[in-house]
Amino acid sequence: MRLLERGARRPITVLDAAATRIYGWRWNPVHQSGTVAVAMLLVLLATGLYLTLLYRLGAPAASVARIAADPWLGSWMRSLHRYGSDVFVVAAALHAVRMLAHGRTWGARTVAWVSGLVLFAAALVCAWTGFVMAWDSFGERLAREGGRLLDALPVFSEPLSRIFAGDGPVPSAFFFVNLFVHIGLPLGMGVLLWLHVSRVARPALLPPKPLLWSIIGALAAAAVALPAPLGEPANAFYLAHTTPTDLFIAWWLPASERLPATAVWLTVVAVAGIALLVPRAMRRPREGSLAPSVVDPRLCTGCNQCPQDCPWEAITMVPRDDDRPTLVARIDPSRCVSCGICAGSCAPMGVGPPGRSGRDQLAAVRAIPELADPEGTRIVAIGCDKAGAGHAAALRARGALLHSVPCVGGVHTSLIEFFVKNGAPGVIVVGCPPRDCAGREGPKWLHERVFNDREAELQPRVDRRRVCLATSAPGDLAGLIAEFDAFAKHLSVLDLPVRTLEPAFEAVCDSVLSDQAAP
Amino acid sequence: MIAIRRLARWLTVALVSAATLFVMARASATHLPWHDRSSARLRLSWRAVPERVEVCRVLSAEELEQRAEHMRQRMECDGRFATYALRVEADGQLLDESVVRGSGLRHDRPLYLLRDFALPGGVHRVRISFARRERTDVDTTAVAPAPAVGADTGLFAGRAGRETVERARRAGAAIPAHLALDTTMIFTPARVTLVTFDADRKAFRLLRANP
Repeated sequence: MRLLERGARRPITVLDAAATRIYGWRWNPVHQSGTVAVAMLLVLLATGLYLTLLYRLGAPAASVARIAADPWLGSWMRSLHRYGSDVFVVAAALHAVRMLAHGRTWGARTVAWVSGLVLFAAALVCAWTGFVMAWDSFGERLAREGGRLLDALPVFSEPLSRIFAGDGPVPSAFFFVNLFVHIGLPLGMGVLLWLHVSRVARPALLPPKPLLWSIIGALAAAAVALPAPLGEPANAFYLAHTTPTDLFIAWWLPASERLPATAVWLTVVAVAGIALLVPRAMRRPREGSLAPSVVDPRLCTGCNQCPQDCPWEAITMVPRDDDRPTLVARIDPSRCVSCGICAGSCAPMGVGPPGRSGRDQLAAVRAIPELADPEGTRIVAIGCDKAGAGHAAALRARGALLHSVPCVGGVHTSLIEFFVKNGAPGVIVVGCPPRDCAGREGPKWLHERVFNDREAELQPRVDRRRVCLATSAPGDLAGLIAEFDAFAKHLSVLDLPVRTLEPAFEAVCDSVLSDQAAP
Repeated sequence: MIAIRRLARWLTVALVSAATLFVMARASATHLPWHDRSSARLRLSWRAVPERVEVCRVLSAEELEQRAEHMRQRMECDGRFATYALRVEADGQLLDESVVRGSGLRHDRPLYLLRDFALPGGVHRVRISFARRERTDVDTTAVAPAPAVGADTGLFAGRAGRETVERARRAGAAIPAHLALDTTMIFTPARVTLVTFDADRKAFRLLRANP
């Protein structure tokens, strides 16, 4: 199973980097695959509502043909519905593989993983019934294959496949049940989606608006320019040579048709079983960097900030055991993913994963002599250790003193103050793209703490002009370097003695860039 | 310079997006092969009620006396539903030989048959036989005597008559003990010829696509 995780990591990283290079990390659709899938669900609901109004159970093929023949609205609504379902399947699959590759499948994320799998399966079944509704040659092919597979189960007294034999018209009841499933499943998917995000605080359900409308606009344009074709009407007495097959939905069909129904079911059960076992197989001991956060009740002032910042709703405030009048934070280890964001939210440094609380962070940097800059001329870069490959090396080559952390959301602002006080001309904190943070809200909370006085805020005595928050995304090394250079230039305007390594950088940066560009 | 770079970037985004959409639209309607263009198909499909093969006997007056009045069924039958042997040949070549039973765990539901046979297009002689496997002399449905109406008394008088009528109706609804089709016909490529059971005529029926 770990092999599966490692195998998924490499292609996902390459895809992430390629998409960032083209679209930039702000509008990278790969980072947004989960929210794109939800957006597509909404597109499917809207277009599906229109199509349902024009669909006739008594004449399914004729009614869909009439919709497809309407050049003004029907044709592109149907195509948008079709392409929306394709993008949904791709986005949902990509989202699942990304979660697998990044090891975000176990512990508190188990519910999301399992509900996500069920959602994906429900979406495939829903799409299946949608194609059967059209009752063209592809719909007939799917219906026949579905009938064959269901007939292998000891469920129906009369074989479903006989419905399509041709000794009578396909009953309206079949199309009614099919339509019922096609409409009923999305309602169930709504409940599953709620369950999917139920264990996270402030779930991001939709992509940023520009990306959302760009995707919908592009799909609408594709629907107009390349309308989805409709096959010949289904005919039990005619053997179609080919069918216009949607490979996103029915990629399994050619293999399934060649296998006995029992073998297909066994494969389905095996794949589903393996997928459902991922959280169990991937789980790691809750120790070291994965140990859940702990609270030091002596330091906790009951300010209620850490429960607000925790992206996993793992912290609650409870009455204290001692005689102090305030509440005290309590961590639910089963919900804590050890992201460490609580460590950055606690002004008195009383909460955080073992070894990563604010106090631990300060103690750690004091103990690293390399971080001491006797000349006080080098910018300190605090970087997320999940940042793009080669980015740390590039910054180091640029003359920065590098300090790596598990997530910038867990960086206590005292750490920034420490570096500034100890002579660094500036501190640049390099985090993951805001929508692609493993801790979900790390860059967001850090920004609020540094610039908008969110508890535990950067103290007013620290000059904000000497602090920069940058983003490092695989595939965007040039963007990071540009941010670093702009910050260094900005510091030099402030008349601060900044030392960067220009000549050395050029050489190293070129090699890093070519490394990044390599497939 | 910056403007040119920005323009180039926008062009890249537009081109990549357009290419992605084009590939998606094509993959969304890929023509996948399904049936062989030169082959025709013989399809057998029917639903029928299997015959009830049972041994019946009339209870004696003493036996009836020993039972509660509402349990006094004049004729008791024991048996099971018939099974059928299917044999399909094309040009003398055996395509299928199998036993068909009623559906359900106890095979007491109607029987359903659905078989598809691929045949090359052209003229073929097709022979289909669907015959009851159980011997006819154990089928006492028709010969079981009805009790005298005069003996049919008590709370449920007339029941024996109703049972006889019901038994006859059930026998009439069942598929005949033997059905056969022996015909030579043209099988058009990419078309299906369907053989089904006509419950009204109690015979096989051939259905083909309208030309």
